[in-house]
Amino acid sequence: MKGTELKYEDLEGLLKGLLDKKTVDCLILPHKVGNNVAYMMVTDKNKIEPPAPAIFAPSFSVNAANIVKGWTIKEKIGIVAKPCEIRAAIELIKLKQIDKESVLLISVDCSGAFKNQDYADHYGEIGDWVDSAKIEELKGKGIAIREACAICDHRLADVGDIGIARVDGEKVLVTGITDMGLDALSAAELSLEDKEIERKGEKEKIAADAKKKEEELAKISSMEELEEFLRDCIVCKNCRDMCPVCYCKECFFDQPLGNPVGGDLLNLSKLRGAVGVPANQLMYHLTRVYHVSTTCVGCGACEDACPKDIPLTRLYPVIAEKVQEIFEYVPGRDVEEPLPFVTYEEEELEDKLR
Amino acid sequence: MGEEAKEDFEPKIIGFTCNWCTYAGADLAGTSRKKYPPNVRLIRLMCSGRLDPMFVLKVLLNGADAVFIGGCHPGECHYIKGNFYARRRIAAIRTILKQFGLDNRVRAEWCSASEGDKFARIMKEMAEDIKKLGPNPMRGKIL
Repeated sequence: MKGTELKYEDLEGLLKGLLDKKTVDCLILPHKVGNNVAYMMVTDKNKIEPPAPAIFAPSFSVNAANIVKGWTIKEKIGIVAKPCEIRAAIELIKLKQIDKESVLLISVDCSGAFKNQDYADHYGEIGDWVDSAKIEELKGKGIAIREACAICDHRLADVGDIGIARVDGEKVLVTGITDMGLDALSAAELSLEDKEIERKGEKEKIAADAKKKEEELAKISSMEELEEFLRDCIVCKNCRDMCPVCYCKECFFDQPLGNPVGGDLLNLSKLRGAVGVPANQLMYHLTRVYHVSTTCVGCGACEDACPKDIPLTRLYPVIAEKVQEIFEYVPGRDVEEPLPFVTYEEEELEDKLR
Repeated sequence: MGEEAKEDFEPKIIGFTCNWCTYAGADLAGTSRKKYPPNVRLIRLMCSGRLDPMFVLKVLLNGADAVFIGGCHPGECHYIKGNFYARRRIAAIRTILKQFGLDNRVRAEWCSASEGDKFARIMKEMAEDIKKLGPNPMRGKIL
């Protein structure tokens, strides 16, 4: 793998170089807002602040892939984001919601993120960057990372076109993963050399950790438990809107059949004697579970978006993982890998049908 | 639910069948006077690939006790590959339903137009299985 080691501060130069050399027309970058971190789209290189405090910040605002959903124009956009966001963007490329040639995906190492409120409240203790030891220490104080992050096993910057990995001290390792990424780095005048980045041990440790955390999560194992779990849901559909891979232009649950109002609702009630309102609560969530089952990257944006604080991580990513297992599919692993539902093997899955 | 009530329980099964094979297979079972329990209500699709897994969810949430899906044998689809796609979708929706213990109420079988015997046998088996399983827990719920 080709890459180069940079000082933390030099990242600013790299990002400015990408804009300066017209490698990209704009960049989606995290920047500090008070104690927290938010995204900005920047076209003027002078507006780029030193990325150091924001780029590795353990905070999750919105899935950056959701911002570029529908980016099918020729102008090129660069995204600097966490692996889950980059993986969501790769899924959107496969779903034809983003033009592959119009995005430069730059992933950064992630150690897990805190809920926005937790991060802002405890910024003094958390700081701009955490490692796994620090996460454990903070957990002891009652400040835990998001459940979605705790069960995530894709935290290393090895997806997308360029990866920015954190090495010890104040250094980062910038690697070109695809040809597009290598070209971008060369254009930004980085001297690329062969870099051995061997992080298999780290990866295995993260995966084992994530599996353990997932087993500790409360399970939803029957329809009664699911009903109880979704009891407070008001079908506001925020989880759908904030989900990067839920992309239908006309959602079934915005149409009369999925969202009955007036006479339709009355008829439904007459048909069944009684109907729960808002209607289709269970149907909505089960349908969404199925619709995102192969592409869910487990970013936890749905849970963050829920105004009723339903821990949706226990529903969507957990079940999606089971479905992805039967197709041996990992969303965002490879942009050339076809989506499970658009391909097939002639002999498969016969034990899953009855 | 007591044992007695279970005895009386007649399951309601919704069957989605392909026009070119299982539906004709069901027809053959009828014309050759094969006996099978009358618990299934068939809905004819042009292909098992037409089955949106939302149908399965809706059927189960609305209180039917089981879903049957019939399609052409793999490799014999009238539309070349509709049943290959269907197989993936059904496997996915059953994996999801498995989390909530509903997967044993969904059964997909490949049954050609000449397999009237097989259709009658499947219907018999299914009716017995679902009778043992009892009614759908979602039956009568206010949803």
